[in-house]
Amino acid sequence: MDRRACPGNLIRLAHPLRPAPHGPTYTPARPQPRPLLRMATRTESSAGPSRFAATHDFVQRVREKVGQVVVGQDIVVERILIALLTGGHLLLQGVPGLAKTLLVAALSKTIDLAFARIQFTIDLLPSDIVGSEILDQRSHEFRTHKGPIFTNLLLADEINRAAPKVQSALLEAMQERKVTIGNQTYPLPAPFLVIATQNPIEQSGTFELPEAQLDRFMLLHRLEYLAPEEEKEVLRRNAALGVRREGKGAIVRTEFDVLGDRPVGGPEELAQAMEDVQGVYVSEAFLEHVVEIVGRTRRHPHLELGASPRAGIALVKASRARALLHGRDYVLPDDLYALAEDAILHRIRLTYEAMAEGRNGTQVLQEILSETAPS
Amino acid sequence: MNAAARAGLLALALAAPGLAQRLDQREATVGMRARIDQLVLPGPELTAKPVTREAPIVLRVLATWPHGSEFRYDLEYYGLDPGRHDLARYLVRKDGTAATGLPEIAVEIRPVLPPGQVEPEELDAVAPPRVGGYRTLQILAGVVWVLGLLALLLVGRRRRAAAAALAARPLTLADRLRPLVEAAAAGRADAGPQAELERLLLAYWRRRLELQELSAAKAIAQLRAHAEAGALLRRLEEWLHRPPEGRAVDVAALLAPYRAVADPEPAPTTPAGATRSA
Repeated sequence: MDRRACPGNLIRLAHPLRPAPHGPTYTPARPQPRPLLRMATRTESSAGPSRFAATHDFVQRVREKVGQVVVGQDIVVERILIALLTGGHLLLQGVPGLAKTLLVAALSKTIDLAFARIQFTIDLLPSDIVGSEILDQRSHEFRTHKGPIFTNLLLADEINRAAPKVQSALLEAMQERKVTIGNQTYPLPAPFLVIATQNPIEQSGTFELPEAQLDRFMLLHRLEYLAPEEEKEVLRRNAALGVRREGKGAIVRTEFDVLGDRPVGGPEELAQAMEDVQGVYVSEAFLEHVVEIVGRTRRHPHLELGASPRAGIALVKASRARALLHGRDYVLPDDLYALAEDAILHRIRLTYEAMAEGRNGTQVLQEILSETAPS
Repeated sequence: MNAAARAGLLALALAAPGLAQRLDQREATVGMRARIDQLVLPGPELTAKPVTREAPIVLRVLATWPHGSEFRYDLEYYGLDPGRHDLARYLVRKDGTAATGLPEIAVEIRPVLPPGQVEPEELDAVAPPRVGGYRTLQILAGVVWVLGLLALLLVGRRRRAAAAALAARPLTLADRLRPLVEAAAAGRADAGPQAELERLLLAYWRRRLELQELSAAKAIAQLRAHAEAGALLRRLEEWLHRPPEGRAVDVAALLAPYRAVADPEPAPTTPAGATRSA
C-alpha cells in the first residue's frame, strides 16, 4: 500500500483505476456456499425483454458473486447497484458490523472498479480527500497529489464524524464530479459513486449532515440486522475461513480474503447497463404517482419540510434501475413503494408537534403511501 | 219727560255698553287679532279646525251658546296671508263631520307692508344640536367596537366551524373510487385520475385483505401473490405502465367489478383531507 496515497487515516483497499492483472489469491477450502441473495423470479426474468438480456445476465452474475461473500443484505446490494446504474450516491445508515465495507469492496472487485475507503474523523482535512499540491524537493516545482476521491467507488465511512468543511468538500465533488486542486480542475473518473455510511446510534462527537447535504444522496438506506438464518450462515462461513501462511507466520483469514480478484464484469458492461436503464419506460401514470407522493410530503401537517424535487428525480431514476434489475423494461408502483423510504425519508423533517406525539418519518411516509394521508 | 220716556232712556243706557262690546270685525291687518261676536250659524255645534302650518287664517271659537235650534258663537281670528278669506272653511262640526250648509263668513286681511317690500332671505338650515358630548361619543364608539369585535369573533368562528364540519365529512374509499371507475370505464380519465384510481384500488385491496399494518412495499408484494388482487394488478400494469405498443386491455371489463363497489369495512375510511368539498 502506498502510504503517500493514503495519508493519515485513509486506507486504500483495492486496486488502482487501471487494475493489475488479477490472480487468484484465495481458493476456498470447501465448496462455495449456496448464495442467499434473492434472485429475480422466473416470471420477472422471463418478462425481461431480450434487448436487456445481456445487462440482466451481468447483474445476475454480480449479485451471485457478491452473494458468495456477503450473506443476506440483498436489498443493500440492490440499492448499491441502483446507485451505480443511475450515477447517484448512496448513504448507508446502520450500526457497525453489518458488512458495509465488505459489501462495497466486494462489489468493486466484482465489477472491476477502483475502490477507496476513507475513514472520516474529526481531524480529517479536505485536502486529505481531494488531494493537494506538494513541493517536489528535486525539481523544486509543485506537483499535484490526487486524493483518494479519484476512484470509481468511494466508501466514506462514518461521514458524520468529519467536520462540516470536509463533508462539504466531498459533497461538492459528488455534485460536480470534478475537484479543483490549486488552480487546476480535474474530472473524477467515470463511473464515480460515493457510498457513505453513518452510525445512527452514537451522536456525540459527530456533525449531523444537514438536510441540504443529505439531499445530495440519491438514496439513504437503513441497514437492518440479519435474519437469524442469515446470521447463522455468517457464523458458519466465518468459522470456515481458516488461516493463511505468510512467510514463516500465519494470518487469520477474513472475509476480505474471500473476495478474490476475478471480476465478473467490467466498466464496459456497467456502462451498457447504465444506458439500458435510460431505456426503461416510465408511464405517465407512474409520474403522476411520484408527483402526488412527493407533493403530499409537502402538504402533510406533520411534516415541516417536504421532499425536494430531487426526491422525485431520484425516485424515477432509481425505479428505472430497479425495474431493470427485476427484468422489466417498464417501471411499476412496486418500484416506487420499494424505494420510497430510501428516496424520501432523508429529505423530510417532522414538525416538533409530530415528534412530541411520538411519530416518526417512516409512519408518516407509510401513511402517505397507504392513501390515508391528506391529499 | 214722562215716565215711559225715562224708562226707555234708562234701558237704552243700560244696553248701550253691551251693544258697544259686540264686535263684528270683518277686516284686520296681517297678524292682528279680530273678533266676530254673537254670530248665529245653522246646524249642529261647530268648532275650529286644527291649525296647520299652511293655513292662511288661524281661527278660534271663544264661546258658544244655543240659539234655538242653532248655535251662536264668538269667533276670534287673525290672518297670515293678505286677501279675502271665508272663515266658514275653518270650522268643523264638533262631532267631526264636515261643516256644510254654512253661509260665507267673509273677512278681509289687509297687508301692512307696502307693495314691493323686500322680504328677508329664508334662514339656512341649521344642523341639529349634537346628542351628548365627547364622553358620550367615546362610550358609543367603545360599544360599537366591542360589538364589532364580538361579531367578528362569533360570526367568523361560526362560519369556520360550519366549514370545518363540512370539510370533516369523510369520503369513504368507495365514494372516491366510484367516480374514477366511471370516468376510466368511459375513457374520460387521463393520467392523473388513472393514477389515483390505481392507488385507490391498491388501498381498497389492502383494506380488504387487512394488509394496512404492513408497509406499502410489503403489502403490494402480498397483493401480487393473491389470486384476485394479483390478477387485477397485472391488468392494471398492462393498462397503465407497459409501453403503449404492448397495451391491450378492456378497461370497462377490468373495472366492472368496482363500479358499484362498497367499502371493504363497515366504518367509513377517513382519508383526512379527502372531503366532499375538496
